[in-house]
Amino acid sequence: MAIIDASNVSRVFPMPAGPVTAVRGVSLTIAEAEHTAIKGPSGCGKSPLLHMLGCVDTPSAGTLLFDGRDVSALSDRERSLLRLRQIGFVFQRFFLLPMLTAAENVELPQAEAGVPPGERRRRSRELLDYVGLGARADHRPSQLSGGEMQRVAIARALANRPRLLLADEPTGELDEATGEQIAALLDRVNADGTALVIVTHDHELANRARRVLTMRDGRIEREDTR
Amino acid sequence: MTAGRRALAFAWRSLVRQPARATLGILGVAAVGALLFDMLLLSEGLVISMRGLLDRLDYDVRVTATDALPGTGPTIDGATGVAAAAAALPSVRSVTTLRIADAAFERGGLSTRGSLQGLGGTSTRRPWTLLRGQDVGGAGELVINEAGARQLGLGPGSSVTVRASCSDQREAAPPVAFRVAGVVAFPFDSPELVTAATTANSLAEACAGLGAEAADFLLVASKGDPTATVADIAALPFALRAFTNEQVIGRLEEGGFTYFRQISAVLTTVTVSFALLLITVLLTVSVNQRLGEIAALRALGFTRARASADIFAESALIVGLGGLLSLPLGVLLAEGLDRILKRMPGIPEQLHFFVFEPQALAVHGALLAATAVLAALYPMWIVARLPIAATLRNEVIS
Repeated sequence: MAIIDASNVSRVFPMPAGPVTAVRGVSLTIAEAEHTAIKGPSGCGKSPLLHMLGCVDTPSAGTLLFDGRDVSALSDRERSLLRLRQIGFVFQRFFLLPMLTAAENVELPQAEAGVPPGERRRRSRELLDYVGLGARADHRPSQLSGGEMQRVAIARALANRPRLLLADEPTGELDEATGEQIAALLDRVNADGTALVIVTHDHELANRARRVLTMRDGRIEREDTR
Repeated sequence: MTAGRRALAFAWRSLVRQPARATLGILGVAAVGALLFDMLLLSEGLVISMRGLLDRLDYDVRVTATDALPGTGPTIDGATGVAAAAAALPSVRSVTTLRIADAAFERGGLSTRGSLQGLGGTSTRRPWTLLRGQDVGGAGELVINEAGARQLGLGPGSSVTVRASCSDQREAAPPVAFRVAGVVAFPFDSPELVTAATTANSLAEACAGLGAEAADFLLVASKGDPTATVADIAALPFALRAFTNEQVIGRLEEGGFTYFRQISAVLTTVTVSFALLLITVLLTVSVNQRLGEIAALRALGFTRARASADIFAESALIVGLGGLLSLPLGVLLAEGLDRILKRMPGIPEQLHFFVFEPQALAVHGALLAATAVLAALYPMWIVARLPIAATLRNEVIS
């Protein structure tokens, strides 16, 4: 069954000079455990599409169903809880909270979801081991390298066992070697059963996906499947 | 952990993360809170202090000839007869007549000016506290306060010459020698003002018989119901005005004490407004610096309410910690200001401008709590209205 079923979705942003259409009539589905990459030049609408897929934004037109539910019909609180329990986000700039340790950053979404303290501590250790940072659980973000911070961010995104992981330029701030490590880690996350959608400029990272969508001017111009 | 405790814990970590901002906010609130606390103590301080002084005398009704406050209007003529009539009322326990004359006190080469009180009536109680020696016993004796004793080098058994000025023309009567029976403290003593007291008859002698039957006011002790006593005295066939202590306080509140309350109200408004602006600016700057983080947390599933609760908790922590710190600061500041204000001439030593009362603490807490809520509103609104997708996009572009 599809986790996401987007049908003819568009996103228009009102601007002082007039409305700008960032996404035009896109239709796609994201199935369980699928690995999809969305690539294209800057301003082609990749991130706005990802934000709609992640339910942080709603389409101006068209229908986007998450698990069969129309996202536009959900309240802000319902969309927040949907994101908390079903979707993980990895950002280009990590957005770890600097005052928390790596383990505490991973615990944060679990605490929000009401996971008991003992269980979330166990889960955080397990996830930090999974991303290879078990020994750095008590380090704060300022004591970690860029690659390590992105690993913690991936662990945080996985904290509530999401069905869908969305990554917006996850290697954009990393050097090539570190980016390769992160890409491999994301492959592993997908191989372990989490559906993965990556937005990237990086052709190598995009080409690791089984399905690659190329966007231009807000439309999916091309779809390649391996 | 409940959502509220989670928000508080999160806010605490946010404060610790930016120690300079947190310290600035807490110290700012502490300074403003101390001023606020002092203004609240000042608004009722004089009234409470004056009420304490009046109650300490153990007289609960004051009687004058007119509506003027005791000691400021015309005298009561035929005071002995009036006192006897008042003392015979069933609601009255005792009556003291009090006449006050200006006087010059001399001993050896030393001299000073002050006032001499003459007490008569049916009461044996004295409106002063004996510190050394004995109370006024017979004719030609007086008690004097510490200021007089210090300035003239007097003590129990000493002699002092008094030149009383008993008429409106301030003409001094012939000098009369008095023996100092004791040194006393008058409730309305000020550190430099010399006050002495003797019997009504001795004062009449010192005044060369002028106004011998006059009293500035009567001090009356009721049998427990001062309001009934006031009504009984009003019914006497004399032109008298009687006031309970509460009525005297009420009249003072309508007069000069109002200024302190008005000043206090203005300064309270200013200090609360300043605290409000300080915390709003600090929180708004902090929120604007963390928009990306907040948008990311929202994307991860934090609800609007939860993200806003963090800001409110931060405001509550800054104001709460600053408010706690403001109390000892406020007490120290109040003591200093009280000392300065009491240097004004004629202010009784036992009168205080800043007096603690539990209600002031409650109002202080309530005003600071309201400040915390109001200060958090605007930054909470920013967080609640934050467009997640646009903010994340802007963070990457910037």
